Amino acid sequence: MTPIDCALIALFVPLAAAFAIAVLAPLRHAGRPAAWLSVAAALISLGASLVLLAQQWSQPERVVREVVRWLPSGAASLAQVGIHLDGVSVSMSVVVTLVAACVQIFSLGYMADEPPAARGRYFGYHSFFIFSMLLLVIAPNLLQLFAGWELVGLTSYLLIGFYFQKPSAAKASVKAIWVTKFADMGLLLGLICLFAVSGGFEWTATLSEAWATTITLLLFLAVVGKSAQFPLHIWLPNAMEGPTPVSALLHAATMVAAGVYLAVRADPLFAQAPNTQMVMAWLGGFTALFAAVLATVQTDIKRVLAYSTCSQLGYMVCALGAGSAIAGYFHLTTHAFFKALLFLAAGSVIHAVHSNELSSMGGLARRMKLTSAVFIIGALALAGIPGLAGFFSKDLILESVYEADLLVPWAMLILAAFLTAFYMGRVIFLALFGPFSEASEGAIESGFSMAGPLLLLAAGSLGIGYFGAQFALLSGGSYHFHVGMSGMLGTACAVAGLLLSWLIYGARRLTPQAFRFLAPVGRLAESGLVDRFFEFAYRRGALALSDAVGFFDRYVVDGVMNCIGWTTIVSGRRLRGSETGNVRDYVFAVVAGAVVIAFWGLAR
Amino acid sequence: MTGSLPFFVLGALLLLGAVRVVASRDLVHAVLWLGVVLVLTALMFLLLGAPFLAGIQLLLYTGGVITLMLFGVMLTRRHHEIGVDIDSSRRLPAALASAGLFVAMASAIVRTKLPAWPPSAPIPAIEIGRAFLTDHVVAFEVLSLLLLAAMIGAIVLGRRHDFGDEPEPLYGKGHRS
Amino acid sequence: MTVQALLLLTSALFCMGIYGLLARRNAIALLLSAELMINAVTINLVTFSRLAGGVTGQVFAVFTIALTVAEVVVGLAIVILLFRWRREIAVDSANELRH
Repeated sequence: MTPIDCALIALFVPLAAAFAIAVLAPLRHAGRPAAWLSVAAALISLGASLVLLAQQWSQPERVVREVVRWLPSGAASLAQVGIHLDGVSVSMSVVVTLVAACVQIFSLGYMADEPPAARGRYFGYHSFFIFSMLLLVIAPNLLQLFAGWELVGLTSYLLIGFYFQKPSAAKASVKAIWVTKFADMGLLLGLICLFAVSGGFEWTATLSEAWATTITLLLFLAVVGKSAQFPLHIWLPNAMEGPTPVSALLHAATMVAAGVYLAVRADPLFAQAPNTQMVMAWLGGFTALFAAVLATVQTDIKRVLAYSTCSQLGYMVCALGAGSAIAGYFHLTTHAFFKALLFLAAGSVIHAVHSNELSSMGGLARRMKLTSAVFIIGALALAGIPGLAGFFSKDLILESVYEADLLVPWAMLILAAFLTAFYMGRVIFLALFGPFSEASEGAIESGFSMAGPLLLLAAGSLGIGYFGAQFALLSGGSYHFHVGMSGMLGTACAVAGLLLSWLIYGARRLTPQAFRFLAPVGRLAESGLVDRFFEFAYRRGALALSDAVGFFDRYVVDGVMNCIGWTTIVSGRRLRGSETGNVRDYVFAVVAGAVVIAFWGLAR
Repeated sequence: MTGSLPFFVLGALLLLGAVRVVASRDLVHAVLWLGVVLVLTALMFLLLGAPFLAGIQLLLYTGGVITLMLFGVMLTRRHHEIGVDIDSSRRLPAALASAGLFVAMASAIVRTKLPAWPPSAPIPAIEIGRAFLTDHVVAFEVLSLLLLAAMIGAIVLGRRHDFGDEPEPLYGKGHRS
Repeated sequence: MTVQALLLLTSALFCMGIYGLLARRNAIALLLSAELMINAVTINLVTFSRLAGGVTGQVFAVFTIALTVAEVVVGLAIVILLFRWRREIAVDSANELRH
């Protein structure tokens, strides 16, 4: 079984499942068979990816590449499509398929109450997502990556709007696609410029610094949109309208990570543009802090996790801006595990109390022991407590950013670490400990289909961190674990954050009123300024421009056509007068014409 | 018979006759002047050495065509219309057009290098007859067919059509566009 | 008598026929003018026949005369029809081809 065969299996088996579910209506309407088909496809895909990883583990430097020409033009071709397997893509494939398989198995239980036809549709979309994401991951050049990018965007739209009868869900899916499409303009323009300058879509192109800056800034715009960085983060909280497993898969672990993945892949390009990297670092750091602040004031558990995802993506972007693609990618991998775990555990909780609000929860640790345990593991991993996965990757990021002399972003990341621990602690103490609410009193633990994936992901959250060295080798670099000043400071902040949250929400020693002075910050963060700004820009800017263009089109462009038509009609009316019906007039015309021609002939 | 004097006299008379044809107000006068022109043309043919043609001209044209024209004039007379039928509004443009054409043709003629007259040798009729029946026999036959067709056409056109009790008046019934 | 003079003569006759064609309203007068034109052309034919030698030109002229007679016959039939239709033969009345 050659690597290429494995890759093809991993890529096309989910597509076949999705296609079957899409085309065979009886299969889709039956619900359960469609679900099993999709899960089976996901597991096969996972198996193939694991085989690839096993092969790659022993030879981290190996690159297997198989491309075919596409869009032939003349002797050369405009582009190529194919498969590119190296350490990064293989490991990412495993992450994607593993989390996807876990989420699908979890969904078997979570979505059991849905009507069968809707369930069939749901699993069809899931299979299609695996295909799209893998297409992106194993792309040999940026063009195929762009194709996969758009497809995962489509899948996100379909899945966010899964409950399309709900107006809020429909609007959320449109908002998601709108914002990401706006950002995708950057990707498209960047690709065009890249092709114009280098004649291809490879990320190994060598560019002048000016071109590199331009192209990478355009690509970064796409990253900002897809990975929900400020100011295009606005779609991610609304994306929580989708089912919770969808949020776990797409909007935590994989799809939003695609932006970071693009930056990792195109790192050779970004390395040629230090200015862009500076922008990335600052924006990533700011987003990390900004989103963390917003997460502390949410009452919906999924929104807390959504803003948390935003914040962690900010960490990754900042790391890439500091030049350490390894740190960013490592954090991407660990984050996939514990964020998916947190979302699924939250889903388990939501399923039990039938509500997203934290106020409906409380004391669940006594009723849902397994769920609570894995949730705590995930939260601690997110906070960066030593020993758990998040600690290693966060530590690496903090070290890299510090070593790149980006002190203000570093400070923002440190503060964000404090807040991260704080808001996760808040959720834990409000939802899992403390008095019961009406709903949480009757909560029962989830079934095996939901518990199994939770355990698996928890194991990952615990263990992944220790593979840092091997991981770095796969990513083409080296990693040497050490705890420096940044790491210790980060850990201290995390512990402090947890402590504070316990003081306020756990032991109730302090009350939130003590921090009244911070209230304006919260209000500002909640006010939706960014949304309002975009709406204003759209109404005043885009619509005004459209009106102008429309005016031009109607009166100038159409005006020319209308003028021509009017001229034709009027001149026809006038010229008709020459048809008098009087034969002698016609004879006169003939004679006059003959005279003219005769004179003209004579004159020559 | 190619001396200059007969030719010039004939030419002058021809021109005079033509002027009277187109300028006569009385239709019958115009027809009669056309007859004069046709006879003069026959004489011109004689001068040019085509006696057979001169005879044909006299027979067919002067005899046949003029008679037909006179019949036509008589059959289509309206009592109060013996008179003006020259469209005065068009006289000037027409004169200009025809004068222009003449100027154009005259300048072409004057500029062209034309050969001199060969000595006069009137072609006897027998030569023409021989040509008709040998070189141009097809055209000859077709011509007879054509004359037949013309006759039949004229008869068909001249049949009594049923226009109803009253011929349609030109005005007073509204425009028929 | 030069060829040029003859040609000028026939041109003048032709042009006078054109004048008549354009300026007269009476249908029969139009026919007369047409006759004049054809006549001028026939004289031309005979002239060139003599210049070129041979008999072809005169044969052609005979044809022309025969054809002209046929034309007059049919033309007069049409004039009579016109008279029956409109009660007059001013060609202005036959203007149904107008816009």
